[in-house]
Amino acid sequence: MTPADYRELGFMAGLEVHQQLRTKSKLFCRCPAGRYVDHFDAEVLRHMRPTLSELGEYDGCALMEFKTKKEIVYLLERGTVCTYEIDDTPPFEIDATAVKIGIEICSLFKLNLVSELHVMRKQYLDGSIPTGFQRTAMLGLTGEIPFVVPSLGVDRELRIRQLSLEEDSCREVSDFGHRIVFRTDRLGMPLTEIVTEPDMVTPEELEAGARVIAQLTRTTNKVRRGAGAARQDVNVSIAGGRRVEIKGVDRHRGLPRLVHIEGFRQLGLLRIRDELDRRGVEKETLELPSNGLAWNMSDLAIEATASLRRCDFAPIRHALEQGEVICALKLPAFAGILTHRTQPGITFASELADRVRVIACITSRPFMIHSDIEGYGLNHSEWRQLRAALRATEDDAIIVLWGSATDANTATREILIRAQQALVGVPAETRQAHRDGRTGFERILPGADRMYPDTDTPPLPIPDSWVREVTARLPEPPWERAERYAALGLEPLLATRLATSTWASLFEAIGPTEGAAARLLAFTLEKRIPYLRRKSGLDRLPEPARLKPLQSAFEQGEIRREGFEAAFDRLLIEADRETGQILEKYRVGLSDAQELDQLLAWTTIGARRMEGEPQEKILRWSMGQVMPKLLGRLDPKLVRERLLETIES
Amino acid sequence: MAPNSDNGYRDPCLSVMERFGITVWCEVIARTTRGDFEGLVLPRSETADAEHLVLKLGTGYNVGLRHDTILGIEKIGYREAKYKIPEKEFPIDDKKPTVKLFGTGGTIASRLDYRTGAVIPAFSPGELYGSVPELADVCNLETVKLFGVFSENMGPEQYLVLAEETGAAIREGYDGVVIGHGTDTMHHTAAALSFMVQRPPVPIVMVGSQRSSDRPSSDAARNLISATWAAAHGEIAETMVCMFGPTSDRYNLLHRGTRVRKMHSSYRSTFRTLGDLPLAMVEQGKITPIKKDFATRRSDRDVEINAVFDEKVSLVYYYPNMQANVIDGLIDAGYKGIIIAGTGLGHVNRLLYPALERARDAGVLIFMTLQTLWGFVQMYVYETGREIMELGVVPLANMLPEVAYVKLAWALGMHPDDPRAVGELMSRPVAGEMTEREPHDGYLVFQGGVPEIKGFLGRVWK
Repeated sequence: MTPADYRELGFMAGLEVHQQLRTKSKLFCRCPAGRYVDHFDAEVLRHMRPTLSELGEYDGCALMEFKTKKEIVYLLERGTVCTYEIDDTPPFEIDATAVKIGIEICSLFKLNLVSELHVMRKQYLDGSIPTGFQRTAMLGLTGEIPFVVPSLGVDRELRIRQLSLEEDSCREVSDFGHRIVFRTDRLGMPLTEIVTEPDMVTPEELEAGARVIAQLTRTTNKVRRGAGAARQDVNVSIAGGRRVEIKGVDRHRGLPRLVHIEGFRQLGLLRIRDELDRRGVEKETLELPSNGLAWNMSDLAIEATASLRRCDFAPIRHALEQGEVICALKLPAFAGILTHRTQPGITFASELADRVRVIACITSRPFMIHSDIEGYGLNHSEWRQLRAALRATEDDAIIVLWGSATDANTATREILIRAQQALVGVPAETRQAHRDGRTGFERILPGADRMYPDTDTPPLPIPDSWVREVTARLPEPPWERAERYAALGLEPLLATRLATSTWASLFEAIGPTEGAAARLLAFTLEKRIPYLRRKSGLDRLPEPARLKPLQSAFEQGEIRREGFEAAFDRLLIEADRETGQILEKYRVGLSDAQELDQLLAWTTIGARRMEGEPQEKILRWSMGQVMPKLLGRLDPKLVRERLLETIES
Repeated sequence: MAPNSDNGYRDPCLSVMERFGITVWCEVIARTTRGDFEGLVLPRSETADAEHLVLKLGTGYNVGLRHDTILGIEKIGYREAKYKIPEKEFPIDDKKPTVKLFGTGGTIASRLDYRTGAVIPAFSPGELYGSVPELADVCNLETVKLFGVFSENMGPEQYLVLAEETGAAIREGYDGVVIGHGTDTMHHTAAALSFMVQRPPVPIVMVGSQRSSDRPSSDAARNLISATWAAAHGEIAETMVCMFGPTSDRYNLLHRGTRVRKMHSSYRSTFRTLGDLPLAMVEQGKITPIKKDFATRRSDRDVEINAVFDEKVSLVYYYPNMQANVIDGLIDAGYKGIIIAGTGLGHVNRLLYPALERARDAGVLIFMTLQTLWGFVQMYVYETGREIMELGVVPLANMLPEVAYVKLAWALGMHPDDPRAVGELMSRPVAGEMTEREPHDGYLVFQGGVPEIKGFLGRVWK
């Protein structure tokens, strides 16, 4: 697919980047931030109830969560949570460090700062926050950053809609049937949510955009790194489709495939809509009365427990043994639609099944079969019998599902709701990202009504002094740094990589003065620091003073290029050895020529044993003997010449 | 927030608004030194500062703009919000018991004004049904809003009305009474009703919530369902408090009105029975008695209402080095009775002795209760105790200090000119406020961190 293809599709994507901030404590209580544990001391059980919106309606998303009738269990560990997180104590003052980091990131993204922070409650009824809402505050609005990606031919601005300061949610442990279990250690940690405009028009641009945002926030050096510290939600739509939010993607690399697949899922759903439209399917034919068991209320469903009592399909047999209800329902004029492909290896039937799994919380697998795959599950006569009982024609699709009466009823209703949405095309949903790039239904996209003021926290004026304090020490944005490095003589790519690295400030402090030396330092930092972190457990960057003498020795020709890296490594690893002492070994000195003479003499003895071998081989062997001992002090070219002389003589 | 005022705005912000010709509910674009902001101008909380203009953005977020950053405001629309709780008709079922629900101002059920954040109480049966539809499965509900005061402003005036109204509801034949109340002083009101409404033939259940019902995790709905269930179907005909048992959504407890106390500022499970066991566990459809001795439901309507309260009573929380003039001040101000919350078994320091003597001579009645809350006053053990009793201070066994305060005010109201009768009434249990014995599990303040409690907490839902 080329960018032009995506343009034709009307592909649009935006990001909501959640970045944890590096603070000592959580946002609204003084529990430590960033401590994750696997054990717990106590458990709390809660339920969530939807609350009325300002129009006296329940939010669709909230109502959906209520339908799931979940028991929500929170695991508490004394060291990481207090009574605030489990909603038994009102919030404490907002963490000032987090606000200041937020201001700093706002300034980097050129956002308009609000003068007074109002903490709001954003409702989440999935249980991921025990209060049922996330405390969040708007900090900055409407900004833009340069969006330059030479490899994609992108050179424009990326518009940033807003930045808010929020508390992080719980970590899910398990979600099985009607019980969901959460760990609370992460709950309440401060994070910023940066929302872009839907300015990214190809999947590759989306990945690049995510990287640009991540790099810019990291220049503050005040955000958390590592697994789960930055997670993005992606908003995707194509022409004629609707905004779909894919939640919690923590790897940039997976983004293009993810949104590519989503674009095609939406395209598939639009084709299904057109086909259903062509068949003249009306919404009314898929509606059920609102109360009572579906199969008692409508001709669309029947209870098939009795008629399938002799069915030999193992899952149905099992359901019958468990005393569950088997329900059959028809989707008028849906024949063939259920096997329409929506994602790689996934058909429209799974759009229906996903909703059942999430909302009716049925735990058996499988819990439904359908007539678009007639050879599976039921035999021919059983299908025929159900078709007759449902008065279904060949044009209709039939679904058979099983579960407790309550769950089967919820399932039937959800399938019909989802089938109605097929007539509109793409339902506005929140979807969960799978590792393979496919997505699954998570919940209905919540409406704007879920936001209301937090009456527990007073508005917080942001003093000008805070803004001055932050802007005075604002880090240089990576693109400006990169330009400066390029001017110093670094290749553009190396300059960009350095500008967004964690050792950029170390590079600056060492202060290489000219191109070749700067390049060598940049390369060495880039190559050796990640290596030493991995292999030698290097846990923090050295003081610039430790490396400065090495750099100046190199620039003055006292240490040779070949010795630079080895000296660099030792300076970092052998922390208790003096700088001068380490460098001494690599310095080009007066005694070096003498030492070379000795080494040559010694090598000649060894070389004699190789007499008769090709000269080149003898030379290679001799170099291998001599060079390590002189590394960095003598030019290898010179050593080679002298060796050649010696061997020839 | 008064609807007809300037909606909480004062100078300097108000004059900025006037200068640009805008009011609350205007949709505006504000140009500021910190950039442009578009949104709806909201009313401002009167307790907030006068410096900021509040905008509701399209995304639902509120932000504040400081008056001196505003360069210009352009009005682009007007959208006034009016709020009403949706009413749904409460279904009447003749087969179900009928419960009277009194409101005192605490918001048992409420919903939020989503733009301003103000809490609108839901109170009529229709409103309650709209928020907690499960109530219709419990009973028929009739509601009367008696006052609109916060818990901390509940006092004698309200106690008297509440007692009379409860008596009237009982005589009118309701199957139970539920009283919605703020939680902070619920145990004071529960004690007052326990003394003022005697021998009720039906349950009188007080209920509140620790988390308002505009929150998805609120305890309000469960509390209300449990309380109405206890009132409509329960066998315990006493004045009780019905609140969360554990902090988890599991069951509610019914506490006797004279032994219950709010023990945590914010936990859901804040109400505890002290020095005794709660009466029962309750959830919708199920009441599990814990205590065996309680007054049972009767079909008669013979209730005794003694709605009296003498306000000249004080509760003094003793501390080391308390000076005599603290007591003197009360004597001089004409107080007729003082409850002391003393240390240990019921002690105060010698510095107070002269004041206690003066009080006795002035006819001020003084009673001793305990700061320890658990346990009995025992003034014979130490010499101090005996000395204090000689000064006329009367021990009140294991009566809780707040309950003793309420009871003394009530007793003085019952016998205004008869100190002997007051003393006699104080020393005799009237509504379970003093017990003869403390069960071994009447005092259970678990100590976190010790192995056996760690084990226990690992096994139960807290």
